Amino acid sequence: MATILVVDDSNLSRKTSRRMLEAGGHRVRDVADGMSALEQYALDRPDVVLLDVTMADLNGLEVLRQLREIDPAARVVMATADVQSSTREMALAAGAAGYVTKPLNDAALLAAVGAALKGIAS
Amino acid sequence: MILNADQRDAVAELVNIAFSRTAAALSDLTGNRVELSVPDVATYAISDLEPALHKFVHGDVATVHQIFGGPVSGDAFLVLDIDGATKLVGLLTDADAPTRQMGASDREVLAEVGNILLNACLGVFGDLLHVRLTFAVPRLEVESLSSMIASLLVERQEVRHALLVGTRFVIRASDVTGCLVLVLGVTSLEKFIAAVETWAERSVTGTGDGR
Repeated sequence: MATILVVDDSNLSRKTSRRMLEAGGHRVRDVADGMSALEQYALDRPDVVLLDVTMADLNGLEVLRQLREIDPAARVVMATADVQSSTREMALAAGAAGYVTKPLNDAALLAAVGAALKGIAS
Repeated sequence: MILNADQRDAVAELVNIAFSRTAAALSDLTGNRVELSVPDVATYAISDLEPALHKFVHGDVATVHQIFGGPVSGDAFLVLDIDGATKLVGLLTDADAPTRQMGASDREVLAEVGNILLNACLGVFGDLLHVRLTFAVPRLEVESLSSMIASLLVERQEVRHALLVGTRFVIRASDVTGCLVLVLGVTSLEKFIAAVETWAERSVTGTGDGR
């Protein structure tokens, strides 16, 4: 069992991610914005962060950059509706361990989190 | 009709997915990365729509109007201010200095772009909500915001509401601010909201994968 921090400004997305990750045997914490994610990460050091991209104030790519500053080994899987290849490339170049697109799919999400836990980029 | 918090959250997430696909379509068309702000979602009576639209566009606007039918039917509008519309046409045609005067070829380009963007967005709605939508040929109008609103107020026999989704696209350092307006009769709006709630329920409970 791993601890996953879900960061998403959508309540629906947080609930959906929680349901999928808990069904996969993981423990889930969730927050609704980037600043709370940075605070929670510093407190809990979760095994994986599942991070939305399009958020107000601090977007997911900026949160990713700051998380990697706090902890260069942070394992972050981006979860976004943004299907532009440039966004995926920017996220992976910034150190994301994985990238899944919304609407989320149980198998794809658990595979990406599993790969991140094993240190395999997906 | 006022959306409750759960309905607004679900509609916002659906719109986020749909607009992200729309941005990807725009990125493919322009060959440039498209940054999208968090969409702003609200419902309005048609008579209250103009002040709400002022948050996104002013003065003359270019609208691509698409009528859609099916279990949920209504009118979809992509609304851009003239500066945004000319910037967009300029990016698509590689014009060095796009002008605010839109010629026939510029209008044709914009109508086609609007068609692609509206279909990308409404197509996601249809797919995720399991609602089959049919589309008429889109029409481009360049007019004042007031004229656009006035056209919505005439010749209608049913009380209608507008679902306004505003966002800002940033393409190659050019701000293109626009919004999508869905105008629906009460019956269609209720069906749309019910379909969104069913989709949200499927997503949260795992009965289906939310698609």
